[in-house]
Amino acid sequence: MTTQNNFWQHNRTVLIFALIALTMPFWFPLMGGYSGLDTKIMIFCIFVVGFDILLGFTGYLSFGHAAFFGISAYVTGIMLKSFSDNIIPAILVAVLAATVVAVIIGLLTLKRTGIYFSILTLAFAEMFDSMAMSMLQKWTGGENGLTGMPTPMLFNLKMQGDTVFYFVTLMAILLFYLAKRIERSPVGLMMKAIKCNQTRLEFTGINARKYKLLAFVISAVYAAIAGALMVVYEPFVGHEFLGWHQSGEIVIMSVIGGVGTLVGPMLGAGFMLYFENVLSVNLGEQWLLVLGAIFMAVVIFMPGGFMEGIARLKKRYFTTVDGE
Amino acid sequence: MDMTLNAFTLSILTGLQLGSIYVLIALGLTLIFGTLGVVNFAHGALYLIAIYLAVSINNALGFGLALILVPPILFIIGVLLERGLIQRFYDRPHTDQILVTFGLAIVIQELLKWAFGANNIPFSIPSWGNGIIFMHDYLPFLEGFVVYPKWRMILVVVAIVTVSAVFALLHLTRFGLVIRAGMRDAEMLQFLGVNINRRFMVVFGLGAMIAGIAGVFGGPVTQVSPEVGMQLLVPSFLIVVIGGMGSLGGAVLASILIGMAQSFTAPYIYINTIIIYLITVIILLVRPRGLLGAKGVFE
Repeated sequence: MTTQNNFWQHNRTVLIFALIALTMPFWFPLMGGYSGLDTKIMIFCIFVVGFDILLGFTGYLSFGHAAFFGISAYVTGIMLKSFSDNIIPAILVAVLAATVVAVIIGLLTLKRTGIYFSILTLAFAEMFDSMAMSMLQKWTGGENGLTGMPTPMLFNLKMQGDTVFYFVTLMAILLFYLAKRIERSPVGLMMKAIKCNQTRLEFTGINARKYKLLAFVISAVYAAIAGALMVVYEPFVGHEFLGWHQSGEIVIMSVIGGVGTLVGPMLGAGFMLYFENVLSVNLGEQWLLVLGAIFMAVVIFMPGGFMEGIARLKKRYFTTVDGE
Repeated sequence: MDMTLNAFTLSILTGLQLGSIYVLIALGLTLIFGTLGVVNFAHGALYLIAIYLAVSINNALGFGLALILVPPILFIIGVLLERGLIQRFYDRPHTDQILVTFGLAIVIQELLKWAFGANNIPFSIPSWGNGIIFMHDYLPFLEGFVVYPKWRMILVVVAIVTVSAVFALLHLTRFGLVIRAGMRDAEMLQFLGVNINRRFMVVFGLGAMIAGIAGVFGGPVTQVSPEVGMQLLVPSFLIVVIGGMGSLGGAVLASILIGMAQSFTAPYIYINTIIIYLITVIILLVRPRGLLGAKGVFE
């Protein structure tokens, strides 16, 4: 096998994703998506791909990832407002801040598994939400949210409209590529081994906690980048960025799409945001009801999400009698 | 702390009253978890059904009928939910149970919002429960004039009676014996020829019924709007976890603890808003299984 062949095999999904994502401004309006929504979809693609490194690989269900998204968004907003309108230092500081918080929370919460882990992460996120609303009000703007940021700049480039879209999309492609690299690296294998059987992994002399923490922090960094980009996309931060609604939304996106597949959660994110912003017009007030019902149906009948559905269809229509 | 005896007593009462609502939700949650092993994120939604039923029946037919009808209706809803949905998830991972009940919670909440609107519906207290109690008549150590809303005291009494009834059911009856054995080792019970499935159904119904009682008496206090379910679910879940998943005594203890903590920190707004999360984090880190959690349960 030649090296070129190898490259194609390993990066096929990334290249297909890049193609679909970069051409989005041309085909997305045809299906009713307004400009700007494509940017938001890309931002959430980043969020869920990172989330899948935690939930999909290690099996730890966090109900508090909004904390990293929100903290990063607030720090970005404050940096843009009071330091410089250049987004690069803002994003760097924001991601760094969220990473520090993630390491601390990760060290504390990863001692527990299952529901205890979910509840602990939820408690931490809700704590930050409450703090943003009360003692940190001076910096976060409390109930009104953080507003009054200048137009974000990438050095001399104004971050508006299509510029934001392409900046965000390039980040999403890069981060998806990195997630794919992690998936097939030895580290990724360790993370997946934690999901399969943590006790057995530990018996082989491997320090599982190290890999759990790594997965947690990596997913938090993805969430933080998404949070920072959210402010670049729309110069506003509300405390709902930190709330359990936000964490729940990420969980729903991941599950609808297909946990553990990296591509699936991105499909889920695209579907949900499209549903929330475009299809909801036809459904009126009841869109959340329909979404909840779809979510339940997926969990009951298709635990592997859209990806399982696609695999089933493939098997049904693209398999010949002798099995290939 | 420079707190007068009067203020201290009022804080105790408020703490009890807050704890009463929590315990009525948390009791059902922990009962269902301990027996069926199901993490029910839809429990807040069951409470939501209860308050909407209660307010509708109360406004149309009076409080007496609401009290008689709502708990049994919730029992039936619980049984139907268990048969129709929850029982398919006994063998699935806990994360799947969390997800499906989370979805169910959204569906129920949105259905009720559709039917009743997003605004608060006034829930009038029956005349016998209206007004205030002169606490200084009953507690001679209080100085001067101390009053407390009567309905909130009734809520405390209802919670005490309900908790006692559940404990009596579990510890004094044959049914309770089987349920407690089921909490210990469901598989063994099946080997002994006990039809555990039927009892699971009843336990889920029972949990829903307690939420029904909570709705009838708690509705006027918590208000009647679609967000209430989730607003109550999060602290109740934390309480179940603080108490130890599946431990009824733990749930009671944790409810009182959180109620008191919220009541006593009320003057200090910064601490008050985060106290429940702070306590959860500290307790879970110090006592991983919660206050009274049994070893080997959900680890």
